[in-house]
Amino acid sequence: MELAEFERDNAGSCRLGSPVPELCRAGPCCLGIDEAGRGPVLGPMVYGVCYCPLAKQEELGALKMADSKTLTEAEREQLFGTLDGARDFVGWALHILSPNLISTSMQQRAKYNLNALSHDTAIGLIQHVLDAGVQVAEVFVDTVGPAEKYQEKLKRHFPELEVTVRPKADSLFPIVSAASICAKVARDRAVKNWTFPEDLGDVRMEYGSGYPNDPKTKEWLAQCLDPVFGYPQFVRFSWSTAQTILESKAVPVRCEDDPAQKGTRSVLSFFARKESSKRQPHRFFHERKLETVTGL
Amino acid sequence: MSESSSPIRLDLSSLREAPQDVLHLLPCEVEHNGSAPVARYFTPAIRQGSQEKSVSFRGRSLKGQEVIVPQGYVGLVLKEDQRPCTEEEERTVRLKSTFGTLTVWNLERAPSADDGLLLALSWPGIAEAIHAPVSRKEQ
Repeated sequence: MELAEFERDNAGSCRLGSPVPELCRAGPCCLGIDEAGRGPVLGPMVYGVCYCPLAKQEELGALKMADSKTLTEAEREQLFGTLDGARDFVGWALHILSPNLISTSMQQRAKYNLNALSHDTAIGLIQHVLDAGVQVAEVFVDTVGPAEKYQEKLKRHFPELEVTVRPKADSLFPIVSAASICAKVARDRAVKNWTFPEDLGDVRMEYGSGYPNDPKTKEWLAQCLDPVFGYPQFVRFSWSTAQTILESKAVPVRCEDDPAQKGTRSVLSFFARKESSKRQPHRFFHERKLETVTGL
Repeated sequence: MSESSSPIRLDLSSLREAPQDVLHLLPCEVEHNGSAPVARYFTPAIRQGSQEKSVSFRGRSLKGQEVIVPQGYVGLVLKEDQRPCTEEEERTVRLKSTFGTLTVWNLERAPSADDGLLLALSWPGIAEAIHAPVSRKEQ
């Protein structure tokens, strides 16, 4: 698994994958989808898909894939090695969403929530695998949000595929377990080897797992806070953990499109005589924000 | 912003030696008056795309464009070291640095010719044109 392409610009997003096994182009395949790093306040979220021919499901079972959450990091790395060894019939693809992309998407003018972002990323990955010539027939997905709605959405996009969205799919279907291992391995590596474009000075890089309740993560968040900039782009600004700290410890910032904090105008104010009787400058100057300076 | 009648002294004696500054104009109001680690947190995160620059500030996506100060003009960063105690007192503003370009940032979309600041910078050219003497030939 080569993360170099993502690491070149860890403020964006990046798709990568294994070569497509010839067997997956030749016969109907099943495909599993899972994600890693949805909860943490630090680092990227990774979407993973794994696929293999339906005829090879027994061999896949023999690889003994399991839900990545029940495994240690070393066990996951080992199982990823096993998957890599089965490259003649198992393929995978990943989509890494940087924390900066998550923050800016969730906080953009037209809010883009995490579920919608997740769904669109999953849809993009299925399409990517189809475009690569894999004969996907069945899709198994670990749910994000309500399973039924998600299943409907996927079926609308891919009417020709048999889609199963299920909570805990990562422990029920080996192909989803395999996808969860790929995603989690990529997330772990990306977090461990994160290169900060920012210069954080003396802050020690012991940020723990990135989960909001990890004491190491909490301590790191407290240490690297800058009153003006807040955090480096490694932190998801849209997480309530980060927002709460920013609200109490950083200087207030209002962006151009923030709703004005003013209360409702009194009805009388609409009838009040306009304060300035001075001649207003021409619209030309007003539009250009040009004013005559008379004092400081 | 009082329209004080007391004179304001602009100390430009150090104009030639004044250092050049790098300026960023953000579409945000930051309730902070003082220094900020721009070179450590902000500048290194700027990406140069094919069309525009991009960066983020407090988790908001910003798109930027470098703007050149009109020819014949120079940008000045001024600082008042001592606030006056009374209204009548003469005030002195010191030249801190100069700039020839600045980066204008917008939320999510790059600044365009319709943005106030970019429109404002066309004023020197227009002003020159409308104040220039008209020769007989053009009349």
